[in-house]
Amino acid sequence: MPEYTLLTVVAIVVVVVLDLVVVRTRLLTTLGFWLALAIMWGFQIPVDGWLTRLDAAIVRYDDRHFSGVRLFLDSPIEDFGFGFAMILATLMVWTVLGRRQRSAAQDPPPAASHPTAS
Amino acid sequence: MEPFHYLLVLLACLLVTAPLEWVIGARVYRRPRRLALTLIIAMTPFVLWDLVGIARGHWDFSARYTLGLDLGGVMPLEELLFFVVIPICALLTHQAVLRLGARVMPRGRLAREAEELGAVDPATSAVRQDVPRA
Repeated sequence: MPEYTLLTVVAIVVVVVLDLVVVRTRLLTTLGFWLALAIMWGFQIPVDGWLTRLDAAIVRYDDRHFSGVRLFLDSPIEDFGFGFAMILATLMVWTVLGRRQRSAAQDPPPAASHPTAS
Repeated sequence: MEPFHYLLVLLACLLVTAPLEWVIGARVYRRPRRLALTLIIAMTPFVLWDLVGIARGHWDFSARYTLGLDLGGVMPLEELLFFVVIPICALLTHQAVLRLGARVMPRGRLAREAEELGAVDPATSAVRQDVPRA
């Protein structure tokens, strides 16, 4: 398998496992995530296309290192997997940080859990 | 204008998504600490992936369409900014979807998710808020 393809598959598996099993943010089970992803993928077509279109490519991909499948404006199909992983990772970290803030406001850590010098 | 091609598309992304913060009330820019931490934690692996891609020859960047400010001689400044701009757009989009969903259907699924994810102000939420927010 070409390297960019392989790395994309690995990245998708990693973020999915983090979301569902390890971090348990479970964004993949929410409607809001999929709606936001659909909108982001929609905008990725022109934005990524602006970077990849072969008549004026800003980012130039080596055909040997990806599947060779280019969608819309010559974007490697892997880019949409890269985008998926990037978006899920971002929303996951944002969610975890918010959760920590909220739970910190909710339950101040009990004094007993802090060993004090005596 | 050609050297600005990459920078301009990033600026366009910020402009197009700005109303999500200031009209719809996404509250992403207004949580600068959480935003900065999110970017650092979530984007470090992807910047590293990008560097691997560059080093392994998976992709490179056109000198014609970039400013020519290469960080460490490998990554154009615009490419690093990509990993700031795109996640911001993603956060704004998600927060806006939740807020709009909660507004249109105050007892719907998106309203519940917005509540769970802290995307709505407790005062305006239709769902009872147990925890007073600081």
